Amino acid sequence: MEHNTEHETKTLATSSPALTNALTIPIAVVIAGVLIAGAVIYSGGKNDSSNTVNAPQQQQVAQQTGDLEKMTPITSSDHIRGNPDAPVKIVEYSDTECPFCKRFHTTMQEVMSEYGKDGKVAWVYRHFPLDQLHSKARKEAIALECANEQGGNDKFWSYADRLYEVTPANNGLDPAELPKIAQYVGLDTVKFNTCLGSAKYNKHIEDEVQNAQTTGGNGTPWSIVVGKDGKKYPLSGAQPLSAVKQLIDLASK
Amino acid sequence: MILEALQKVFRNSRLTLLAITVAVIVFLFAVWLPNLGLIKTILFDSSVSIGVKVNLPIQLIGSISTNFTLLSALYTIIIAILFGVYVAMLTYFLKRRIKEVGQGGVATGFLGIASGVLGVGCAACGSFLLTSLTLAGASGVLTLLPLGGSEFGIIGAVLLALAIHMTAKKIIDPLVCKVEA
Repeated sequence: MEHNTEHETKTLATSSPALTNALTIPIAVVIAGVLIAGAVIYSGGKNDSSNTVNAPQQQQVAQQTGDLEKMTPITSSDHIRGNPDAPVKIVEYSDTECPFCKRFHTTMQEVMSEYGKDGKVAWVYRHFPLDQLHSKARKEAIALECANEQGGNDKFWSYADRLYEVTPANNGLDPAELPKIAQYVGLDTVKFNTCLGSAKYNKHIEDEVQNAQTTGGNGTPWSIVVGKDGKKYPLSGAQPLSAVKQLIDLASK
Repeated sequence: MILEALQKVFRNSRLTLLAITVAVIVFLFAVWLPNLGLIKTILFDSSVSIGVKVNLPIQLIGSISTNFTLLSALYTIIIAILFGVYVAMLTYFLKRRIKEVGQGGVATGFLGIASGVLGVGCAACGSFLLTSLTLAGASGVLTLLPLGGSEFGIIGAVLLALAIHMTAKKIIDPLVCKVEA
């Protein structure tokens, strides 16, 4: 009897940690599941959330690209490099302080030197500053618009090329560099500074940010490749030149 | 001790294959993560040729060098390998002592994977981590992190290594009733 009591006491004494131990796995699995599922649903799977498994194939594709269809149509007011009537257009939503955008800018320059001269591809640049990560990017987007205001499409692209070249990325560009870049590309710095200090492009930039998000962009660079037949393909991140070329070839068919 | 446990596990060719398969899947998932929408679109589009369906995802693997920093590429590869090793070890362990699973090790492993996924997602500007934190209303947290979110990937790798260590310890532990002093 005495032995039994002792055994019960031991069991009671060890039951609490055992219970805690038994709960560790379910709790960990739930936390891991929630984090992974949440991230997948709200990030990568954003375009596919409306998919119905049993839906016909064509409808499935349409649903996947549903958000992409909300892309603001390309017009002459866009910043377009290359042939505006090119069969394939790459609309890039970019953040000037994002290191991957800086890398992708070079990739796109290579794309244009290969496909642009024959008028096969047009590069459309839109703003997507991520304020939470790069507080300086929005001002730089305004600077790009100011370059465009003063010198048109050519100066816009000259300014963009120089900006991406000199910025160390990750919010590393000294704002004092912005007028210097303007001077470098041949703009009137007084006019440029006046424009930079104004709020006239705030709405335009915010509209493009909103449109990037509406089309499914949740990081930068976010690109939409528009094919010959109007079909749209999402491309997220600084993908290698070979992948972009493959997508261009697909979109041009 | 870990080497001894690894030798025991990887003497089994099926477990070696399992580890490699899991590591490759985790790696591909991480690299393709930002473009799962594109991959799905292409795979389900009947007008796209088989060649493109195969070739485009292969080309996207190259983003490990363009869409990752050196640090994030490094811990993505490490997490994939550690996860493969961990799954193989856990399988070995479960086959032998199903009632004595190192629960702490399993929990650590799962948390390692969860943390690793957040770190991997942060490889592209703002993608995974930013979205998750914005939804949680805590996107400002990123600015406080010196490595801009890579911390999650590093923690993930450390937790997985810890889980492997704990599981290895259990594998090496002999199945005996210890005499209490």
